[in-house]
Amino acid sequence: MLKPILLVEDDKRDLELTLVALERSQLANDVVILRDGAQALDYLRREGEYAERAEGNPAVILLDLKLPKVTGLEVLETVRNNPLLRSIPVVMLTSSQQESDVLKSYELGVNAYVVKPVDFKQFVAAIADLGVFWAVLNEPPPGSTKAHRRYE
Amino acid sequence: MSVDLTTCDQEPIRTPGAVQPHGHLLVLDGATGRLVAYGGSQSLTQAQEMAAAVRVPDGLPVGGASVSIGRLAMVDGLWDASAHRTPRHLIVELEPAVSETGNLAPIYSLARSFLPELQNTGTVLELAQLATLELKRLTGFGRCLLYRFDDEGHGEVLAERADEGYDRYLGHRFPAPDIPQQARALYLLNRFRLIPDAHYEPVPLMSLDPALGPTDIDLSQAFLRRVSPVHLEYMRNMGTLASMSVSIVVDGKLWGLISCHDHQPRSLTPECRNACDHLGQLVSLQIAAKEANADVAERLELRKLTLEIVSRLGDSDATLQRILAEPAPLLRLARASGAAIVLDDQVWSVGDVPAREQIEELAGWIVGLGQDVYESHELTARFSPAAQFDRASSGHNVAGVLALSISQVHRHAILWFRPEIVQTVRWAGDPRAKIIENGRIQPRRSFDSWAEQIKGRSEPWSAAEIATARELREALIGIVLRRAEEMAVVAQELGRLNKELEAFSYTVSHDLRAPMRHITGYVDLVLDTDEAALSERSLRYLGHVKDAALYAGQLVDALLDFSRMGRAALKRRNVNTQLLVDDLVKEITRQERGQDIEWAVDRNLPDIDADPLLLQMAVRNLVSNAVKYSRSEDRSHIAVTAVSNEDGDGLEVHDNGVGFDMKYVDKLFGVFQRLHKSEEFEGTGIGLANTKRIIERHGGRVWAYGEAGKGARFGFTVPKQATASQAPPGVPDA
Repeated sequence: MLKPILLVEDDKRDLELTLVALERSQLANDVVILRDGAQALDYLRREGEYAERAEGNPAVILLDLKLPKVTGLEVLETVRNNPLLRSIPVVMLTSSQQESDVLKSYELGVNAYVVKPVDFKQFVAAIADLGVFWAVLNEPPPGSTKAHRRYE
Repeated sequence: MSVDLTTCDQEPIRTPGAVQPHGHLLVLDGATGRLVAYGGSQSLTQAQEMAAAVRVPDGLPVGGASVSIGRLAMVDGLWDASAHRTPRHLIVELEPAVSETGNLAPIYSLARSFLPELQNTGTVLELAQLATLELKRLTGFGRCLLYRFDDEGHGEVLAERADEGYDRYLGHRFPAPDIPQQARALYLLNRFRLIPDAHYEPVPLMSLDPALGPTDIDLSQAFLRRVSPVHLEYMRNMGTLASMSVSIVVDGKLWGLISCHDHQPRSLTPECRNACDHLGQLVSLQIAAKEANADVAERLELRKLTLEIVSRLGDSDATLQRILAEPAPLLRLARASGAAIVLDDQVWSVGDVPAREQIEELAGWIVGLGQDVYESHELTARFSPAAQFDRASSGHNVAGVLALSISQVHRHAILWFRPEIVQTVRWAGDPRAKIIENGRIQPRRSFDSWAEQIKGRSEPWSAAEIATARELREALIGIVLRRAEEMAVVAQELGRLNKELEAFSYTVSHDLRAPMRHITGYVDLVLDTDEAALSERSLRYLGHVKDAALYAGQLVDALLDFSRMGRAALKRRNVNTQLLVDDLVKEITRQERGQDIEWAVDRNLPDIDADPLLLQMAVRNLVSNAVKYSRSEDRSHIAVTAVSNEDGDGLEVHDNGVGFDMKYVDKLFGVFQRLHKSEEFEGTGIGLANTKRIIERHGGRVWAYGEAGKGARFGFTVPKQATASQAPPGVPDA
């Protein structure tokens, strides 16, 4: 069973377009959709409405930088400070080219930072690359239950 | 004149242990009144008789001048007696009573006619003339002259009255060693001296007390004090047998002397001596008043000029060089023929000044001295490189400099210059001539006029001028400090605005880009899913929607880049623009294969002190513009040339493209300003704005020349060293 991709996005249009892009990239992973940072943390820590969900971390978190309640940077920081979550790859998706955001993200240990291109075709290509790299090709960290690969 | 009569400086002239023979001197114990020593031609018995006969009034102050205590009739005649107290003794002097010479009451005549005339004199010179006339009349001496000591102690004769047969010294100088140091000190204390006969043989003081040596007796205030044998020799060499002098003391300093000489021995009555003493004091007071008045008037005038300069500067942007916009007050302030303002490596000057590099060198030296104000009227003697200074434009050598340095750390200074004035000084005898006989330096014998040419000097800077320079410095520092405070406030405000701008651009980058992305995204989705079902026209419309959204996205990105460029810190280093341009040319040639470009890149492109990334961006904009706007030509000619001028080093890019009309040149460098329709030439219109911003952040400047249809050239220069806008000049570190 492939681990899911966690997509945290508040804007419904961005969400739809990202899902289309993920779909076109032909990834087999499930996509779990969360709409704000607080929800994302509940999911990851299996708290609140996600207290009952099955164990296991997502393959990758696609995290929008600007989120209601808890921002993307705060989610990233919490993930990196939690021993159980620390090894999850996090890709920051953002509209912003603001250098302070980029810098802050890398300081907090982001694995990739993607400025969503205005051109939809480029956006699809970027999402596909990311998904393939982080959800499929990437070796899981040592000690984790080895995931089944799509092409196996 | 280094080896002068300095041995005289050691002579104990206050305690010579001997007296002049024309009178009697009695030394009484200060407490008991007992005779302890005597001097003169009298016997001990005579001395004791005299001591018994004198009546000394009570209350003579210790250390005071000698006062007349009346006439004493002795067996051998009439004696004029005077007395004064030293810390140990009461000294009584008896001199033969001189018959009155017609000046029955010299003091009254002084008060009646001389004083009112004295008050009417306008200048020190007039006063000097009047004083010599009066003193000569009072004393009946053959010659009377008044001289003033200059800063080096030479006496310059200001006024003279002399009978037939006397040598004239008006306008001459007596060299400083003529009056040794301890004599000058004594002249301050004892303001009246008389030597009736230079041929006298001094008689020793006889002490009655074995514990008291003759040279223990202080004769500073005694008329009969034996004067230095060197002085007597000097008098005889000068051909005068009697001499008298009165000190002129101004502000506690020996300002000058009025001295009288006569070919014959000559004495004065006590009344006359008193009158002379008074005359000396009146003259001293008047000179003090006149000099103070002149000083006050000068300072007032100078303060007015200072205010004028300072208020003008206060109205401007307070950078020092603004002072030179109106140079007259600055030059008048120091009565200078030229002035310069030095701010680190920059020099502004007006009037007669040395060459720029020489000013810089001099300013560096002066600032290095660490003095707030420096002055010299013989610069070459103080600063040897000044001897090599070019003649100023007037043809005079610069010999005087007055400078104020604003900062202890930076070379920020104002300098004033005065030309050399070759002075001819007439000495009363060659001051260098020394006569050494029997291993001892002799007083000079020749008082013949001897002219000396003094070079390398300017007119000296007056105390008021120096004080004014100091005041100006304070005021300038005040202005600069105030300006610095204002700038700090502005900087704070700018910082706030910058934060706001940052917040704004953050919002723009997030919120404005997202809708653009959504538009293009959904248009693509529509096209992907329903392309077949759409009409040709709908497809074209959707194409326009997408293009417009993409372009809007580019504009937002460009705007953000532009704003970022204004804020990013500059990382300056040496950039080889030859390599930079060569690489750009290669890259562009590769990209623009369809365009026939003939490149002409100079091989001497300069190294520039700049942020490499930003400079590359700036140059890239210029070169790609040249390529873009010459695309319509059959063959593009693009040249890159080196520029080097007083603003710094830079590049210029020439093309043979569409050019532009010079009336739009001001718009070229504006944000989103375009001179062409967007179908003709792609782009957001921000490239040149970026170039301008980058270059200006480096403290440089950009320019453009063009003609419609005939190509254009764009260029820039960056200053050689980092004098960019970060640090405002003129802020003191003190």
